Amino acid sequence: MVKFTNVTKRYSNGTLALNKINISIAKGEFVFIVGQSGSGKTTLVKLILKEEDSTEGEIFVNGYGVTSMSRKEVPYLRRSLGVVFQDFRLLPDKTVYENVAFAMQITEALPKEIRRQVPMALALVGLSRKADMYPSQLSGGEQQRVALARAIVNNPVLLIADEPTGNLDPETAWEIMKLLTEINHRGTTVIIATHEKSIVDALKKRVIAIDKGTIVRDQQKGTYENEDKNYKIYN
Amino acid sequence: MKIRTIRYIIKDGMENISKNKLMSLAAISIVVASLTVFGIFYMMIINIEHNVMHLKEQPEMQVFCQADLDDIGIKIIENALTNNEGIKQVTIITKEQAFEKVKSWLGDDINILEGMDNSFLPISFIIKLYSPEDSEELIQELKQISGVDKVSYPQKTVEFISKFTGWIQLVSSFLIIVLLIVAVFIIANTIRLTVFSRRREISIMKYIGATDWFIRWPFIVEGVIIGILGAMLAFLISGYGYNALEVRFTRELAMTGTSIITLMELRSIGTRIISFYLALGCVVGAVGSVTSIRKYLKV
Repeated sequence: MVKFTNVTKRYSNGTLALNKINISIAKGEFVFIVGQSGSGKTTLVKLILKEEDSTEGEIFVNGYGVTSMSRKEVPYLRRSLGVVFQDFRLLPDKTVYENVAFAMQITEALPKEIRRQVPMALALVGLSRKADMYPSQLSGGEQQRVALARAIVNNPVLLIADEPTGNLDPETAWEIMKLLTEINHRGTTVIIATHEKSIVDALKKRVIAIDKGTIVRDQQKGTYENEDKNYKIYN
Repeated sequence: MKIRTIRYIIKDGMENISKNKLMSLAAISIVVASLTVFGIFYMMIINIEHNVMHLKEQPEMQVFCQADLDDIGIKIIENALTNNEGIKQVTIITKEQAFEKVKSWLGDDINILEGMDNSFLPISFIIKLYSPEDSEELIQELKQISGVDKVSYPQKTVEFISKFTGWIQLVSSFLIIVLLIVAVFIIANTIRLTVFSRRREISIMKYIGATDWFIRWPFIVEGVIIGILGAMLAFLISGYGYNALEVRFTRELAMTGTSIITLMELRSIGTRIISFYLALGCVVGAVGSVTSIRKYLKV
């Protein structure tokens, strides 16, 4: 599903954001990418979305050779995956329904398809009754759920979330995480970049820890920090 | 591209204009101004060319008698001309012939002549010379003959105008290019405002997989609509002005019976001008918008 081979990313100002990274994520996995701000996890997300080009190495996402991809192909890569951001990124002058439908409109989907898919996505995130409201009338958690509905409405095989709970209170954050696990149970691969320790620790999923641009740990059923260290610090 | 996408693009482009009324209005005005100036120069050039062509077809020299001169006076002039050594051939243009000619110039405006007869027109002689070099002296000589009102020598004018046409074309092409560049800049800036206010939306569209053209088209529609509206207004203004001028010129021509400059009818050049305006308006609008969104598509 996602494969990084010896990927290095150096920004034009000289910052080495990622250094010879190797990652392989299979279909249906649920993966946390953890690390401090500036560790390189956002760069990782940007490379998957082809928002940035890698300096070295090979990246494959959903069967697309991202490294050698032309500008024209980028929209099709992005349509094959759903993205959720910390700041929701909803269109303020469109209603909840229109925001979700818009993701289908740009793929030139049939109106019939849009009328079928959008209510399904809104039902999944529990916002059917707020379809005609505008983002400004919703709480943060509700806005993030709209963003989730938009991310899954095209039935992507891969969902990427960059700090999806960063702007939410702990309770709302849990609702979003519950939705993300539900989406994963339906077969979608989910990758979440986060530094929300409590969530990572509670869910016991695969954890890839990045520090100063290198992978320091890749652990099945892992926690936010290395267990040994964890005990030393917190006990 | 699918029809529903085209519908979305046009609707979105028009919404941009109405959301940004003031700037759109400014952009339209600039298009009107530059196209009108373009139109003035363009109409000037085609009329000059038309006149030069017309003059080239004219006789070499024409001697006009005073309108109220009697038959004897005319006979004297005719004799003086036929006996002149520098003149090869003399043809008389009677009042009737002159009247017919004026009628043909007037075309549809013939009603100006209503109630008039040919008495106000002078009798004239068309002369062919042996050598054009002697024309200056000959004109002076012919003017001395009593009863001669004036001597016209269009070839001289043709040379004069021809020399200037080149310059006028050069200067006006330069001015037109400058004005069009200014128009592109103003449109680009107007659309940059829309683009700027929607930059977040553009980046969101990019993230969810919209193609560059899907994002670009509504802005191009916005630019082209501004261009087309400007072109139509410019045509109304310059067409109206030209028509008024043309009517005055034609009236003048009818009254004096002679004029070396004639203006073409608006009807005969209108299609050419409006199509030029529309083409330029569209190009200027599209170029303006494409340049202004380039920066925001890099996500």
